[in-house]
Amino acid sequence: MPLSFPYVGTFTYVFESIARGMKRDDIIVPDEPTYRTKQLGSLHSSEFVCTPFKMLLGSIIEVIEKGAYEIVATVFVDYCRLGYYSPLYKIILDDLGYDFDLINLDWFNKVEFFTSFKKLACNVNAVQAFQAFRVGWIKNRYIDQIDKTLYSYGAVEIEKGASYNVAHKLYRQVVETEGMKNIRMLPEIIRKTFDDEVEIDTEAKPLKVGVVGELYAVVEPAINLDIMRRLNDIGVITETPITFTRWIDLGQRMNPFKKWHYKACIKHAKPYVRYPLGGKTRESLGAVIEYKEKGWDGVIHLYPFTCMPEIISRSILPQVSREHDMPVLSLVLDEHTGEAGIQTRLEAFVDLLERKKNDGNGF
Amino acid sequence: MILFLNLEVKAIKNPRRKIRVGIPRALLFYKFSDLWITFFEQLGAEVIISPETTKKIKDVAVRLAPDEDCYSTKLYFGHAMALKDKVDYLFVPRFGGRKKKYVGCPKFIGLAEVLRSMVPDLPEILMPHYNRGMDKHTRIGLLVRAFRLGKIITKNPFVRIRAISKAFKAQRFHNKSMIIDVKTLQKWENSEVILNDFPIYNENERQLKIALVGHSYVLNDPFSSLSIRSLLQDFGVDIVTSEQMPRNLIEKQMAKLEYDIYFDFEREILGTIMHFIESKTVDGIIHLLIFSCGPDSIAGEIAARYSRRNPTIPLLQLVFDELTGEAGMRTRIEAFVDMLRRSIDEKVIFLTEQVRI
Repeated sequence: MPLSFPYVGTFTYVFESIARGMKRDDIIVPDEPTYRTKQLGSLHSSEFVCTPFKMLLGSIIEVIEKGAYEIVATVFVDYCRLGYYSPLYKIILDDLGYDFDLINLDWFNKVEFFTSFKKLACNVNAVQAFQAFRVGWIKNRYIDQIDKTLYSYGAVEIEKGASYNVAHKLYRQVVETEGMKNIRMLPEIIRKTFDDEVEIDTEAKPLKVGVVGELYAVVEPAINLDIMRRLNDIGVITETPITFTRWIDLGQRMNPFKKWHYKACIKHAKPYVRYPLGGKTRESLGAVIEYKEKGWDGVIHLYPFTCMPEIISRSILPQVSREHDMPVLSLVLDEHTGEAGIQTRLEAFVDLLERKKNDGNGF
Repeated sequence: MILFLNLEVKAIKNPRRKIRVGIPRALLFYKFSDLWITFFEQLGAEVIISPETTKKIKDVAVRLAPDEDCYSTKLYFGHAMALKDKVDYLFVPRFGGRKKKYVGCPKFIGLAEVLRSMVPDLPEILMPHYNRGMDKHTRIGLLVRAFRLGKIITKNPFVRIRAISKAFKAQRFHNKSMIIDVKTLQKWENSEVILNDFPIYNENERQLKIALVGHSYVLNDPFSSLSIRSLLQDFGVDIVTSEQMPRNLIEKQMAKLEYDIYFDFEREILGTIMHFIESKTVDGIIHLLIFSCGPDSIAGEIAARYSRRNPTIPLLQLVFDELTGEAGMRTRIEAFVDMLRRSIDEKVIFLTEQVRI
């Protein structure tokens, strides 16, 4: 049965390599979401459900049309609507008359997680399946490394677009590398390739902006209109602490000495929001202070329209920004967000940051 | 003149003036009003509740509140502002859920902190945190929290304990009188009892029964639901609300689902709709949704899809926000009620036969 999954930013590469590691040759790799994906998703979902729901639904319909049967989804209880995605997709796609099977990976219910995982790994035994998963999380680190290098090289490259071409070549290389020995060589290769193939302007003094917010809004270029690249094009180094590492990287999770960025952020956010309320509310608030302490210039906060937890952080962010003298731009994204609007606001924000940096006396 | 002066001096000098606690009349107030009011009154505080929602409160709310919040949360800001200068403390609990496994809306937890951040000159906010769903607080933990909260009003531990026990008794009584049992529901279905206001029946018209489904803060707030209850009363429609539904019927419906509905208040909404779709004992269902309410967007979609699969009982879903016009809403409800009347009214069906030439 052909296996597939919705498109979620660069995490798609990680998933592809896990599936290939489990010797599933029948996987269908999803395409990047387009205008049609957004339209398909919003056509079949309720009016004010959050935008990631619509985008993922559109992506799932597209892969089913390409011939996929088994589709991987995730489900868990949280304060937000994420846990309803998979049941609701089942109802909606049943009504549309598609033939499919949703495989729910419930991370908080470990027994169910591994039974579903075994269902996916029908060609290999349990040890090999776990090994494939392990290779997946290790590759996830290197995908993150490529992202991080790309977002800083992209700002200072001399020939525009060079580092993006290099990055896309490297993503494929990471997916296709086999054997633990070769995989361990990857970080060195990534660093070298960027050094050799991208010519950078060493004189430039670029601004540094952190991007935080809701997971899907940050990692998926289709919903945030490729905000990282837009910022890079106006000469700003960006970074995001929001990746999938903290969930799937069991190796780092078991390491007691690992300093997690989000834990530091939550500590910072305690005076503003004391108790967990879902999403990345406390992390978004704390990240502003964390980036201030690191000496960065500003923070951009992204969240999809009607996201319940992030609206709370968006309401409190002005206070955090005022008290810590750190510029913050909150952007709400949905399927109708226009490119020109985002571009203008980013340029204005960067102009303000530049003036603040040069004058040193604030706005 | 002298008398007036004396009074003023007395008011300032008297240190034993009652502490005034303000509770906004919005969101969870409609669910736990008896608990909160009895608790603070028994402690010896003066409880001030914001007035019923008016246009003025709405205007203040819409101007102040974050743009993307749901309409009901926006109204909360208006109610809090109405209390601003009248009270010493504002009571905005951080409520995460009252049952294991189930959670409330995240906005209930964040509301107090958002208020504090957006309106810095508010009086001190009392924000006890209770979350049985995710943080695994125990029932005893709730009592301990209430005991600690009472310290602000009175230091006497016996008064506090008595206040807690009386408050929970009041809430239990409220729930008991609100939630009906299966027998009463059957009596209502057979038109033996009337659960809400008496509908105004017209002669020659069939009596209609409608299930009115929605959050308690929409059903019981005439302003945000555009007084839909009295409108239905005028049309001669007998209603049962989702608040009144027997819990065991709801849990029975929820057990049928393959997945868990983990939003606590959404269970009673979806359970009521599914019960009536299955039992077919009402003429129609009206589901009131609030714009950009997260849980509603999920429950509304599920309800709409189940109703479409099983289309015997008509389901009308109305979405409310601050721009909803009364005339448009009235027309739709009128049309819905007319449709229900005609659907079973045999005269109308015969009419088409009589027209035959």
